[in-house]
Amino acid sequence: MLRRGERVWLNAAVALVYAFLLAPIVIVVLAALNAGAYLRFPPEGLSLRWFVAFAQSRSFTRSLAFSLKLAATATVLSTVLGTMASLWLVRFGGRLRTTLRILLTAPLAVPGILTGIALLIFFYALGWGKTGFGGLVIGHTLICIPYVFLITSAVLVRFDQSLEEAARNLGASPFATFRRVTLPLIKGGVISGAIFAFVTSYDEFNISLLLSGVGNTPLPIQLFDYLRFSFDPTAAVAGTISIAMAVVVVLLTQRLVGLESLYMGGG
Amino acid sequence: MASLRLQGLTKRFGDVVAVHELTLEVPSGELVALLGPSGCGKTTTLRMVAGFDVPTRGRIVLGDRDITADPPERRDCGMVFQHYALFPHLTVEQNVAFGLEMRGLRRPDVERRVGEILERVGLGGLGRRYPRQLSGGQQQRTALARALVISPRVLLLDEPLANLDAKLREEMRFYIRSLQREFHITTLYVTHDQAEALVLADRVAVLMNGRLQQVGAPEEIYHRPRTPAVAAFIGLTNLLPGRVTGRSGERLVLETPAGTVRAAGAPDLREGMEAMLSVRPEHIELDRPGEPASRDGVNRLRGVVQERTFLGSLIDFRVDVGGGVLLRVQGRGGAPQRVGEQVSVSFDTTAAWALPRREG
Repeated sequence: MLRRGERVWLNAAVALVYAFLLAPIVIVVLAALNAGAYLRFPPEGLSLRWFVAFAQSRSFTRSLAFSLKLAATATVLSTVLGTMASLWLVRFGGRLRTTLRILLTAPLAVPGILTGIALLIFFYALGWGKTGFGGLVIGHTLICIPYVFLITSAVLVRFDQSLEEAARNLGASPFATFRRVTLPLIKGGVISGAIFAFVTSYDEFNISLLLSGVGNTPLPIQLFDYLRFSFDPTAAVAGTISIAMAVVVVLLTQRLVGLESLYMGGG
Repeated sequence: MASLRLQGLTKRFGDVVAVHELTLEVPSGELVALLGPSGCGKTTTLRMVAGFDVPTRGRIVLGDRDITADPPERRDCGMVFQHYALFPHLTVEQNVAFGLEMRGLRRPDVERRVGEILERVGLGGLGRRYPRQLSGGQQQRTALARALVISPRVLLLDEPLANLDAKLREEMRFYIRSLQREFHITTLYVTHDQAEALVLADRVAVLMNGRLQQVGAPEEIYHRPRTPAVAAFIGLTNLLPGRVTGRSGERLVLETPAGTVRAAGAPDLREGMEAMLSVRPEHIELDRPGEPASRDGVNRLRGVVQERTFLGSLIDFRVDVGGGVLLRVQGRGGAPQRVGEQVSVSFDTTAAWALPRREG
């Protein structure tokens, strides 16, 4: 039990942490609602005019759409690849397990800009200079795989394989076993991994900076280019949209996998 | 229904031989218990029959079909796993229906058969529950129902009662037995619990260090063990080293450190051979000393009570009968003998069993 004095200090500390985490978000949102012409805080009156400006800017809407398409593609690819990798590694990795785990999660440890440079050099070496969407998908998938891999592995390690044996024993083919037993039980991990992958891809800056080209500009790069020349609240609007998306994603996770996956033991 | 035959089944994991040249038949409709201490290879054997482990050598024949190379889903074995392995994301009904659905049965047939089997195992009305909402005994019944509903050619049980408390375990023993009789299903039952094996099985196969020691009816295994290891593993027994010095009618005469004893013995024991004498504590009686040499059919030794332990309905004695031999004796609850008292120890010559002394 905490004594009264201690509780006061604890509450204060928690409040400070939350303030520290949430303040930037509040500032971005308020800046987006600024009625004035410049990106600044506190706002000079409230208005939605910069939201309208964002929606009317072709370069912003196009890069938003591009970012969403890119993130969706990278999410699908990295979820499939990361899940397959963790299934194999957890079950059959043997002596290679540790080495392969380090290799698969390396993109987390290597600075993104280095991964980007490496990919750029690699693509040029292949004579595949103007990679556009394809190159970005490869780069994003690469950095998304570790999230899917790690989360799915954590779930798989706890998975009771006698459940799969029971399914086979009852007449299920390996594929039917995966579809009817394994996947439903690990889906919490797979969905969490996919959501992480999506957010990671949507936010990715370093690799996008090096691999994007004309007409292939993800939103973060567009934002960066824009801020170099103009300093108006449109940038804050882009940030606010990202924040709103993150909130939706968090709520979705809660809804899809939150409590249920805790219950299911395996998932 | 089909018989299950294991022929020269061998399994190696690297340098470790888990199962060595196991040949065993489970006749159609019988329940054979594969009994042995943990790590003896019994679960590995079961897993080979189910198709989860591939034998290094040997064959598995179910009915007239060699299933050694078949994948698990085509073996038609129903298995009950030690921890039941019920699908946690499916209800009891869905768990039981799983095997029928995999066989492509139509919905109405699936529902009818699931309903019937759930009634039969006493789970009618619990079909909509999830496994986590069931007690241990109910989970066990669900696992049995799931394995039986597909009408498998053989039923495999892997320590099915190991996770139940003592009282429920006792109850489930008889329950499984009656279910097996009713379905008349060929059953291989793996257990380390000898009481379970003796109660349940038509025949008991004792497996130690991956080698089959003895196969026989429960009485035979209990009263006529073929190796000292089996004698020591099944029930309580006193093991005395001795040497066969002659025959007296039906009985062998053995010289033991505690004196001369007459005993029934394995047929392959010859004069001059080293032997091991097994006498169960419940077959030994304690008397006041006085009555002298052995009467016909009864061995009589003199001893001193060293220990006396009250066990409720029984009293457990340890009696020093000389030659460094301590005999364990179980007397009835009211046995009057005290520690330090001189006693006479007697047991029938038929209750003493001599077996060849060799490593096994």
